[in-house]
Amino acid sequence: MIDYLRLEVRRTLRDTMFVIFGVGMPVMMYLLFTNLGENDPEWKTISMVGMAAYGAVGSALSTGGGVAEDKTIGWLRQLRVTPMTPRQVVAGRALTGSVTVLPSIAAVLVAGGLVNGVRLDVWQWAAVALLLWLGSIPFTLLGLGNGYRLTAQTTGVANMVCNLGLSVLGGLWFPIALFPGWLQSVSSYTPTNRFAQLGTAVADGHAPSAAAVTVLAAWLLAFGSYAVVSYRRAARTI
Amino acid sequence: MTKTDGTPVAVSFTGAVKTFGAVRAVDGVDLEIRRGETVALLGRNGAGKSSTIALLLGLDTPDEGTVSLFGGTPEQAVRAGQVGAMLQEGRAVPRVTVRELVSFVAGRYPAPMPVADALALAGIEELAQRRVDKLSGGQTQRVRFAVALAGNPALLVLDEPTAALDVEARHAFWTSMRAYARRGHTVLFSTHYLEEADAHADRIVVIDHGRVVAMGSGEELKRAAGGSLVSFDLAGRGTEGLSLLPGVTAVEVRGDRARLRTDDSDATVIALAGLNAIRGLEVAPASLDDAFMALTSGSDSRPGSRSDDRTGSGSDTDLETVR
Repeated sequence: MIDYLRLEVRRTLRDTMFVIFGVGMPVMMYLLFTNLGENDPEWKTISMVGMAAYGAVGSALSTGGGVAEDKTIGWLRQLRVTPMTPRQVVAGRALTGSVTVLPSIAAVLVAGGLVNGVRLDVWQWAAVALLLWLGSIPFTLLGLGNGYRLTAQTTGVANMVCNLGLSVLGGLWFPIALFPGWLQSVSSYTPTNRFAQLGTAVADGHAPSAAAVTVLAAWLLAFGSYAVVSYRRAARTI
Repeated sequence: MTKTDGTPVAVSFTGAVKTFGAVRAVDGVDLEIRRGETVALLGRNGAGKSSTIALLLGLDTPDEGTVSLFGGTPEQAVRAGQVGAMLQEGRAVPRVTVRELVSFVAGRYPAPMPVADALALAGIEELAQRRVDKLSGGQTQRVRFAVALAGNPALLVLDEPTAALDVEARHAFWTSMRAYARRGHTVLFSTHYLEEADAHADRIVVIDHGRVVAMGSGEELKRAAGGSLVSFDLAGRGTEGLSLLPGVTAVEVRGDRARLRTDDSDATVIALAGLNAIRGLEVAPASLDDAFMALTSGSDSRPGSRSDDRTGSGSDTDLETVR
């Protein structure tokens, strides 16, 4: 399975679209959003976490795009006639997602530290990176669910809608303080909002709130079930 | 494990049925392939070849009957690395080199052949560093062949392996396939090219409408299909009564020429002479094409018609002959 992981990670990193949209875009948007007009250091930190989260969400979802593509070209079917078990294939894919979010997270954090002069303790940097990494798992599962359920084209669209919708709604691009009150309460139930909170809490020097962890855990369960159901349904026809 | 002539059985179908909605894609197939045999599955598009192969590989499960490989289920054989397959609908895997892909697949099997050997056998050594998605259709086809045999499987299954190949590549492909078969491996390939089946298989299994309609060597099939073909110019006369002539089993008209399939060409010719219908008379032994037509003409399945089969994708070539 390590071989499969290696193969898929390699294929993902060679995908120009992945590098542009999964790694380049969040960095560019981060630098843009924090250097236009007046910006306090606090916003530079919050936005850094938000954009790293946005990049991680995009990368995690794109795992599903890879699945849909491999389904279309018959590669998943070809794998079924090798000794690999279907379980190994799915697990390998999920692991691929959790590896390919790393460059997205790292790129924005590096830009924050080196370009925007964000200063955090070493443990905070490590904890932010780790929490963003772990917190991206629900989004990988959402992507896998889309990828197994939908065609390659509709997966691309679905992933984009999920990515942009959840990112904006969750306050990864703009602070939700700018939202009207009712939208703020909606936002606090989104997985993206709580995902970013894991990081902002640590950057602020305290542990993530129980509410953040609970909401994210609920989404993990929901997206996990969605992935399992989609996979089960697709497995018969792959 | 059952044995026939002392040779262990590699593949065994017993009354296998697979339906898709109202279509019986595989309709009671009984088939046994011994280890070391090279068998061609011959049939037109939509005859049920790919559905049969899907059952064989455990990609589908039969609704009725059983399919077994090496005495176990297809899944067990696949998990044990006894099977390698080139599937019909496979396309190029993006963003990976030929060597990476073949090495990866070889690494899944318990006793693979060296990657260099697989590349050499498929004739793609010089493409090893190239990206699979940058190759031509024929080259991609050969990569898929390398993927199928990389694991050194006891049973190699090839679904229409020469579809995208030009004449030269086709020749090279069959040379490689035979080299692999000579190592004692069992090979099953499907084709709608008669000459390929005749030239490269020990045994031909003719499939039509999901059933095995004939089985044997090319010679045996010709004999089974019966006799000779008597043809002559109609010169404007009608065809009525021709099917009643002695020996005649089938009548076909092409342009102004009648072609009579007959069990007894002498009797047919004498009768035609009696009718004074001998302009341009020709008597020929039935070709394999004719044999195939005779064996699969059970219903309205004339060439050009297509029965429903979810695997009948894309290509509209029907029964064809390789030149």
